[in-house]
Amino acid sequence: MSAIFDHLAIGFGVAFSLTNLLVAAIGSFIGTMVGVLPGLGPINGVAMLIPIAFAMNLPPETALILLAAVYVGAEYGGRITSILLNVPGEASAIMTTLDGYPLARQGMANVALSLSAASAFCGAIVSVTGIVLLAPLLAKWALAFGPAEYFVLMVFAFCCLTSLLGKQPVKGVLAAMIGLGISVIGVDSNSGVYRYTFDSVHLADGIDFVVVVIALFAVAEMLEMLEKVVAGHSVEVKPSGRKLFNLKELAFTAGSIARSSLVGFGVGVLPGAGASVAAAVAYSQEKRIIENKDPDAKFGKGDMRGLVAPESAATASAIGSFVPMLTLGVPGSGTTAVMMGALTLYNITPGPVLFDTKPELVWGLIASLFIANVLLFLMNVPMVRVFSKVLSVPGWLMVPGILSISYIGVYAINSGTFDLLMVVGIGAIGYFLRKFGVPMAPLVLGVVLGDMMEHNLRRALSITNGELSVLYSSSVSIGLWIAAAAVVVVPQMLRRIRENRQARKAAA
Amino acid sequence: MNDRTLGVFALVLAALMTWAGWGIEAPFAYEPVGPRAFPMLVALIIGLCGLRLAIKGGNPVEANSAGANSRIFLMVLIAAGYAFLFQWLGFIIATALMTILVGRLFGGTWLKCALGGVIMGVFFFVLFDRVLDVVLPAGLLGDLL
Repeated sequence: MSAIFDHLAIGFGVAFSLTNLLVAAIGSFIGTMVGVLPGLGPINGVAMLIPIAFAMNLPPETALILLAAVYVGAEYGGRITSILLNVPGEASAIMTTLDGYPLARQGMANVALSLSAASAFCGAIVSVTGIVLLAPLLAKWALAFGPAEYFVLMVFAFCCLTSLLGKQPVKGVLAAMIGLGISVIGVDSNSGVYRYTFDSVHLADGIDFVVVVIALFAVAEMLEMLEKVVAGHSVEVKPSGRKLFNLKELAFTAGSIARSSLVGFGVGVLPGAGASVAAAVAYSQEKRIIENKDPDAKFGKGDMRGLVAPESAATASAIGSFVPMLTLGVPGSGTTAVMMGALTLYNITPGPVLFDTKPELVWGLIASLFIANVLLFLMNVPMVRVFSKVLSVPGWLMVPGILSISYIGVYAINSGTFDLLMVVGIGAIGYFLRKFGVPMAPLVLGVVLGDMMEHNLRRALSITNGELSVLYSSSVSIGLWIAAAAVVVVPQMLRRIRENRQARKAAA
Repeated sequence: MNDRTLGVFALVLAALMTWAGWGIEAPFAYEPVGPRAFPMLVALIIGLCGLRLAIKGGNPVEANSAGANSRIFLMVLIAAGYAFLFQWLGFIIATALMTILVGRLFGGTWLKCALGGVIMGVFFFVLFDRVLDVVLPAGLLGDLL
């Protein structure tokens, strides 16, 4: 028990330093603005800020705190537009619109906003507690992993991410493989051989992770915006009597918040399942539980319990998704994959040893996630008008701004024109892939994990002199293979069963 | 444009990866798995995905609205031009030019875009180069700044 408090003391010691507190506040603010902007979510905000944080020579824990605050803030900004305008800023906020927007229509906009902030805050508390209890155990367990187990673990992460993402896992696999293919480019550190560099000096070190991320999440995003030229929304926050929810409303929703936070954390810890899955699972769970008991429930028409469920779950899972990244070195979502790439810029490889070698980084990050949520809660009501003003920034100013900031970041890494051109090229390819429905998160995961995956595979096979059986010789790796197969097969089976049932219902 | 097109692209990519990567060989092989195996494995799986997509087809891509394609093409050109001129002209001038062109693409008026571009170029330069210590190219304005 005392170890836990020691850890938290380290964490809050780091997070409460003046710089880090300031950085967390700025990050939350920027993140919220990015989240409010149509089409931009946490992953875009984090992607654009990584190189800038690096170029500013921020120490790693400060940079990570900034990115984490942006992440949480952007999740937050997404819900402002969902509640006020029925426009979900990103996928995880879709569930929030279901009951949030009707509440705003009933003149309860401010109550809904503050309540959603409070439930997100509760989700954060649950999740941070979960991390504190669970992460060191998981890290200790992972210390026993050999190269073979790591390789299988990464296979498992890819299986999770691709099978949970959509109806067509084959496109997810394709995306992951393209990512791995990109990671192969450059000099092979084991043998010193150049691979796919086509004798170009610029490619000798491989394609920088920042280049790929900015290309996919800033340039490709812009092209997509151009496709459906964003009209400026006019925002009118309807005047509402009360600014805050009252205790009665909090008590009314407390059960839903608690249940959904736990669900969210559980989903978040699974590699691959992000905030959008968590929000959807929590919402449907609450709807089922409550509608059975309470005939007066009005889910979809402005039930507060339907608002808090996805909110607390989304935040809990966003924070929970740091668990696999910090303990296993295998990120749990697209955004944490991007953040893990940021750490590699500092030559820090996340993994179980991180808890021993860089406790200030790990616990500082965890404490900051907590603080960022407090700050967001405090900023929410007084500043909602400021944030909603962001929505009226016209496209002709916003898009050049995004492009310009992206280039500043890429230029900061290597100060060269080649990287900028590469961003344009990969961005255009990324846009095409997205048009074809190829998901981007597995691609990023592939770029981030590629090197580690290959080296663990080669190391494992070196031990046995090329004998493949090493990949399924320990109980851990066998368990992971089974889990990987299960995440691929089970959702498919469930989908088929559901379709059959619906078909039968339609026939009857 | 449907899954079949994507599948064919994937097959071409797999073929290219195999062709360009077949010659990868370590001068001294001291480990059982050399630098070639992993890329070949990746190419193989890309090829298998491509094969499946090409055979199954379906899922036609949603067509863009009229004029969107040419504007997207223009946008890519502008982004490439901006990349070329970023260092040479310097951040402020390149950004101002880019903002004018992109702004026009997104329906801003000439005057607004020009004004916005100049202000944004100067503002970002001061913010990043001077305040945040992220070095940006001064370019043609090198002596002035």
